[in-house]
Amino acid sequence: MTARGAGDPAVTFEVTAGGRRHGVEVVPSNSALTVTVGGQPTAVRLDPAAGSECWRLWVEGLAVPVRVREVAGGLLVTVGAARVPVSVRRALPIPIRRATAATSADCLEVRAPMPGLIVSLPVGAGEPVAEGGTVAVVEAMKMQMDVPSPVSGRIEEIRVRPGQEVAGGQVLAVIRPVRAGEDDTSVGGSGA
Amino acid sequence: MPPLRRLLIANRGEIAVRIVRACRDLGVSPVAVYAPIDADSPHVRLADDAFALPGDAPHDGYLNAPLLVDLARRAGASAIHPGYGFLAENPAFAAACEAAGIAFVGPPAEVLARCGDKAAARAAAAEAGVPVLPGTDPVGDDEAARAARAVGFPLLIKAVGGGGGKGIHLVRAPAELPAHLRLARGEAQTAFGDPRVYLERWLERSRHVEVQILADQQGRAVHLGERACSVQRRHQKLIEEAPAPGLDPGVRDALTDAAVRVATALGYRNAGTIEFLVEGDAFYFLEVNARIQVEHPVTEATTGVDLVASQLLIAAGEPLPFRQEDVRASGWAIECRISAEDPHGGFLPSLGRIDGVVEPAGPGIRVDSGLWVGQTVSRHFDPLLAKVIASGPTREAAIARARRALAEFAVSGVDTTIPFHLWALEQPAFVQGAYDVHFAEQWGGGPTLPEAERLAVLAAAAWFHRKRQRPALPTDGASPAWIAAARQEVLR
Repeated sequence: MTARGAGDPAVTFEVTAGGRRHGVEVVPSNSALTVTVGGQPTAVRLDPAAGSECWRLWVEGLAVPVRVREVAGGLLVTVGAARVPVSVRRALPIPIRRATAATSADCLEVRAPMPGLIVSLPVGAGEPVAEGGTVAVVEAMKMQMDVPSPVSGRIEEIRVRPGQEVAGGQVLAVIRPVRAGEDDTSVGGSGA
Repeated sequence: MPPLRRLLIANRGEIAVRIVRACRDLGVSPVAVYAPIDADSPHVRLADDAFALPGDAPHDGYLNAPLLVDLARRAGASAIHPGYGFLAENPAFAAACEAAGIAFVGPPAEVLARCGDKAAARAAAAEAGVPVLPGTDPVGDDEAARAARAVGFPLLIKAVGGGGGKGIHLVRAPAELPAHLRLARGEAQTAFGDPRVYLERWLERSRHVEVQILADQQGRAVHLGERACSVQRRHQKLIEEAPAPGLDPGVRDALTDAAVRVATALGYRNAGTIEFLVEGDAFYFLEVNARIQVEHPVTEATTGVDLVASQLLIAAGEPLPFRQEDVRASGWAIECRISAEDPHGGFLPSLGRIDGVVEPAGPGIRVDSGLWVGQTVSRHFDPLLAKVIASGPTREAAIARARRALAEFAVSGVDTTIPFHLWALEQPAFVQGAYDVHFAEQWGGGPTLPEAERLAVLAAAAWFHRKRQRPALPTDGASPAWIAAARQEVLR
């Protein structure tokens, strides 16, 4: 088994803590995660300790009690006596699936990365979208994030509307790539 | 009085649980009362019977003296334990209990009145040969400036009806007096329904030391040693310990002797605390706390005496089962108050719903707690949730155990003072026992450490990743499904 299992793609976040912005990559491996901050990988595990806010962070051979509280604009993370305001933002491609029977084999579905509320849909059906361009803005846990297009193409279909609650993995839009077939390598979550 | 078989607890939270336990130890049947918001709280679940109070606001419930006396009668209780706060030091309530033939677990009404009249208490102490700080009787606005000059600056404005550190104002210069007087009077009116205030000299570099007293109805008073309570914020205690670190043995003996003399002079009965300010080798009587105190467990830990059970036995007319020379204190005990306050946000009350709790345990750890999953922390009540009492053969051992316990203690749903305590127990001044009443000011909103920031980034990334992979719990805090899910998380 490789560290980077199929269906467990690396996820990149932009984490701002104490006024400093960090590019953070999270790669699942077995029961732990490899979190790379500023190029330095660290193996961590986060287990529930109590209720919705208290956790135990296993890091570098130590168990550290942390409390993570959602507030407007991000998280308050309490580590020992210190409290650190943190904001987290998804930064890179989300897992998407190959088109199912419901759509043309050439099309790609863009799915909600997590349960949330559709804030806006900047691109309408029939309009072009560039790779990495925002297809939808989703709000979850009081944080908004862009859902980017995995490919350059044209919006075939929009399946949600602003203000709608969506489930994690729900199809938001269907995109027909401009040059179908060339973007398969960027498709995560398709499995072996 | 009739033998003590059934007792009504006129309080809530951790102290109500503590009283239930003392009842059980003595074979007394405990009866709880509860505001609607406290219906599922531990003291209700642990009691033999429980009566609902008509409202959450204190004056409807835990301060509703006639109703409480009536409920005690209906419950067949022959005694009422008032705990601390609420009606604990209210002479009218003690008198009402007495009139109804119900034993009030505390001093009789006239002793409560004497202790509550701070000037009278100070005069009694001075008469007993105990040093007192310069102070005044209740002062009017007109005479305040002259009275303040006689007392000397800095001084404290204190509420005559006050207690628990509420409504105290520090005045450093004559020009500040009128504004503080106005504020203190307003606060006293709101908090205690009594706008009268008095002035008392303040010692800048002092330490707060208090002596635990037990006095039976036969008139015998003993002390159970002292407690140090200098870790305070706005005159609210955060950490207490026994014995007091760095106290000269000669001063300790003089202090405890003085406390017994004050108690005797006041005709004190039941459990009480004599408070002093200590500066160098000098000490001054401050006031009497005529109730069981929040910090009583540190004395229980070092002396082995069950203070709440002693209260019940004294109220039942039993003589103290030991003499002064039988009281032996050993080891060290430290109490950390876990309150629903945000130490990183100026210790403002943190209201909300508790959705997860893990309380510490293990060698040398006692947790007195009123916490429960589903508890709503409301603006109506004191923010104290629980107390961690760590004890050991030495102060170092007690501190190490306290740190261990605080790291185990997890409360989800509201902010608590746990981060403050973790900080305090690491500070050289605290570790060396060389702290005074200014210690807590060093907190300054908490440390900012690069290591904490790094761990916070790792935790946040892992948290976000985890949330992304698991459906979020419904955010309706009132939903039973949500509580069930939270419980499941705890059990995982």
